[in-house]
Amino acid sequence: MSTDIVAAQAAPRTSDRTLSARIVRGLNKTPIHIALGVVALIWLAPTIGLLITSFRPREDIASSGWWEVLSTLRFTFDNYADVIGAQGMGRSFLNSIIISVPSTLLPLIVCSLAAYAFSWLRFRFRDTLFLIVVALMMVPVQMGFIPLVQMFAPFGLTRGFVAIWLAHTAFALPFGIFLLRNFFITLPRDLIEAARIDGASVFGTFRMIVVPLSVPAIAAYGIFQFLWVWNDLLMSLIFVQTNANYPMTIQVTTLLGTYGTEWNLLAAAAFLLMAVPLAVFFSLQRYFVQGLLAGSVK
Amino acid sequence: MTANPQPIQATPAPRGGGKLAVERDKPATLLLFLGPAVVLLLVFLVYPVIYTLRMSVDRGLGGNFSRFVGLDNYASLLRTPSFVHSIENNVLWIIFYVTFVIILGLIIAVIAMRVSYEAIIKAIVFLPMAIAATALGVIWAFVYAYDSNIGLLNALLAAINVGPIAWLGDSSIANSALIAVGVWGSTGFATVILSAALKGIPTEIIEAARTDGANEFQIFWRIILPMVSLPISVLAVTLIVNVIKLFDIPYVMTNGGPGDSTRVIAFELYKQDLSAGQYGKAAAVAVVMLVILIPVMIFNIRRFRSEAVV
Amino acid sequence: MAGPRRVLTLIAGAALFVSACGGAASPSPSSGGAASAPASAGESTGASAPAASSGVPAGTKITVTSLWGGSEQEAFQKVLDAFKAKTGIEATYQAQRTDYATVLQNKIQGGNPPDVAIMPGLGFLRQFAASGGIKKISDLGIDTTALESNYPPGLLDPGKVNGELYGLMVKFNSKSTFWYAPSKVSTPPKTWDDLKSTLDSLGGQPLAVGAKDSWTLTDWFEEIYLRQNGADAYKKLFSKDGDWTDGTAAKAIQTMLEVVNDKYVTGGIKGALNTAFTDAIGQIYGKNAKSSLFYEGGFVGGIATGQINKDLKIPSDIDWFDFPSLGGAGDGAAEIGGDEIAALTTNPGVKEFIQFMTDPESGTTWAKTGAIISPIKAVGQDAYPNDLAKKEAAQVAGASAVVYDGSDTLPAGAPDMGAMLQKAIQGQDPTGLLKDFNDGVKSAWESES
Repeated sequence: MSTDIVAAQAAPRTSDRTLSARIVRGLNKTPIHIALGVVALIWLAPTIGLLITSFRPREDIASSGWWEVLSTLRFTFDNYADVIGAQGMGRSFLNSIIISVPSTLLPLIVCSLAAYAFSWLRFRFRDTLFLIVVALMMVPVQMGFIPLVQMFAPFGLTRGFVAIWLAHTAFALPFGIFLLRNFFITLPRDLIEAARIDGASVFGTFRMIVVPLSVPAIAAYGIFQFLWVWNDLLMSLIFVQTNANYPMTIQVTTLLGTYGTEWNLLAAAAFLLMAVPLAVFFSLQRYFVQGLLAGSVK
Repeated sequence: MTANPQPIQATPAPRGGGKLAVERDKPATLLLFLGPAVVLLLVFLVYPVIYTLRMSVDRGLGGNFSRFVGLDNYASLLRTPSFVHSIENNVLWIIFYVTFVIILGLIIAVIAMRVSYEAIIKAIVFLPMAIAATALGVIWAFVYAYDSNIGLLNALLAAINVGPIAWLGDSSIANSALIAVGVWGSTGFATVILSAALKGIPTEIIEAARTDGANEFQIFWRIILPMVSLPISVLAVTLIVNVIKLFDIPYVMTNGGPGDSTRVIAFELYKQDLSAGQYGKAAAVAVVMLVILIPVMIFNIRRFRSEAVV
Repeated sequence: MAGPRRVLTLIAGAALFVSACGGAASPSPSSGGAASAPASAGESTGASAPAASSGVPAGTKITVTSLWGGSEQEAFQKVLDAFKAKTGIEATYQAQRTDYATVLQNKIQGGNPPDVAIMPGLGFLRQFAASGGIKKISDLGIDTTALESNYPPGLLDPGKVNGELYGLMVKFNSKSTFWYAPSKVSTPPKTWDDLKSTLDSLGGQPLAVGAKDSWTLTDWFEEIYLRQNGADAYKKLFSKDGDWTDGTAAKAIQTMLEVVNDKYVTGGIKGALNTAFTDAIGQIYGKNAKSSLFYEGGFVGGIATGQINKDLKIPSDIDWFDFPSLGGAGDGAAEIGGDEIAALTTNPGVKEFIQFMTDPESGTTWAKTGAIISPIKAVGQDAYPNDLAKKEAAQVAGASAVVYDGSDTLPAGAPDMGAMLQKAIQGQDPTGLLKDFNDGVKSAWESES
């Protein structure tokens, strides 16, 4: 803590008037730049290493590290072709989408409705009920394994995708209701009251006023839920019981076991698994961060 | 206030739902809005909790209630060394993962504030949050690999003529190696939260302290730290919940081994008890997880009662 | 606000697309995502296939699950193809590489079992039989007494639970095969002392061990225990009456540590604990082989030549010798790891498939791949494609006693034996480990009865 903490925020514009002042400042900050450089390296190198490895031929991976890639400089799409085709990652990419989209949209709808009720409708035991919902947030998914699998059995739901959709939706509810309700109550009351007095139905008010005003919150929650489902392994292991329906997370762990350590396939498969979240991250960073921050208490 | 425990104190003005001039809403309306959620919660959360509690005191042969056995399942868990070990490992995770994530997050947040490329640094550190733990496991399998042509760490060690070290093949360090992966994955989360908290500290307070002759060290410990203590506690609780539910990282990277050195509770439930069809024992493990989470639940309810959003 | 709204629209659009194709998702496309024909196409080919002699409707499909992948899966696929050619019934293989028992148990609970499972552990077989997850062979309408004559005496006994036949052994491999690189080891060792002196003369950590897959360590232990104490003591150890604390098990572990140690094992003990089974095969038979010796079962040959290194020449590049003798009661005995086939449903086609798997035709087809040894008597020596497999079949046939893989016979709820041995090779005191293990095994046996 040699330099001061707040100056960085407050001072720059006033003190950097002259060139020499700027140079002095720059020199003072050298340790900071070095530290942050190290931080960036530690947090980037493993992922970049994976990316580079996924494009290297199998023999090169075995004989030299990815950091020596400049000495060989051979790249190939074979690893991707192999995992997408022969190893079934293409099919499971589709499965991941089939699992994630309904498992995101269903909770969004159900949570918005319930959150609205908890913030703007009047009924008995509303707050007690809401506390129960908050308490249910802590129920670990492990609680559901045995009873839910048995409950789904007579209907054959685990054979298709219905079981995983329902399970994800249900376990998303307590947190989703909590989050959206906390946002909905910040909406201006006058607006909602006015709509009701003008004769709008409860549902009309919800659809025409509450939802449009809450798009940022709903989007943030939606992104969080989507990533949560996309990245989930455990729920799929339990509730997806047809091998052809396995999502990418399961497929990657299967690759880990099948051929010993086929590093080239593993790297390509892992990168395919990361592709969608990374795309979301880079295109929607703001909502993405909000969503994850909000979702972190789940 | 008891009738309407909404978080109004924190931000009073025009907030506070539920005070519309309308009387009670019609049952049909309630059904539309609450029906789906209530049904799903009852069927998929409340019922399983009751079921699992009951199953945890049953032999549970073949997944059916076959014989009431009292607390036998719990007693048998305590006699199972791998279960006890998984609890110990979870405790190690709680201590080291939570501590390191918060400390690293705070350090990075504090020093990143002083450079113009703060946003980039935060984005880089935050990136792993987007990635599935499964992929995290694969990324770090490359870092930890024993073969110095593949493992980054052992290549670095080889450059200074040390090693190689079997990061995941040594019972005494494997769990720490996994914790490091967890820390790497979650530090960005702490950085972003704490960075926001730091920026919320009014500059005047610090300026005032400085004019009063406080040095930077004192300012950090006496002013900054107390002011971010609430976000830190919230963060800690969140991270603890993460750890108690932890499954993917050990599953993908070590499969609980070598020996049982990296097993954690959720892993033990899946691997040891479900696989053997010991549903009574598996249910008991799930109940243990719930019990560990109850204090967190209470914390959250208190927090909810006292203020709205973090 | 335009941003997220656009995204939501996109997501909604994607949902429509997905629900459009999700509705068509049929329960049993082929495993592993290999491009599968749409259900309708499959049915039409079924119709044109040779009519099933048993009267099973054309186009019948069943699913078969086991835990093989890679070259072992390819070998088994040939058997399934032969079944389809013969009966017109399509049997789809589902590989379950990880958590075999958990996933299978879970599928049974979910009312979604595969029709047929081929399982490695007798512990699992007993567990599933007890919980009603699998059917008796007789429930399928198969005459079990007629089957007995197809097999060597006693071979079907492991598949019996409380006297009823639930599983049939469809393949086995010897576990008493010790692999070596003939170019580096000129005279294969015969005794344990020979082995140690060979290791010494080779120098430089020549013994590959894939201890990350802990079951490889249980095989080491079992071989040593069998040779030191004989077949009867071995069977007792892995039964309800087994005593892991009487000193014999500790002695076997000590013996194992004489070679499974930092001096001899490639990469040292910790390196081995980082090495998976197939990676260890790579260490001895891969392109950049470092090791000269490797112990594991007969299936190593198929994996090494079919998957790790297709250029290997038999027997100049790859060969095996009998697990070294230890001067005890069981030196002439052989251990086998066998897989039992069991029916989880009585759907049409299941009976036909199980019957097919007891038929010399399936045994011969499978044996020809070199991946397995067939337990069916009528499968002759000439069915095996190479000397490695011929030798393996002969080894088991000529053994003074044949025992079943012990760790596979322990109850499914027993503590992980491999994990216990992983601790032992890292230097933990075997006596203490065995005491805990003994307690766990005892209570697992009790909860099974």
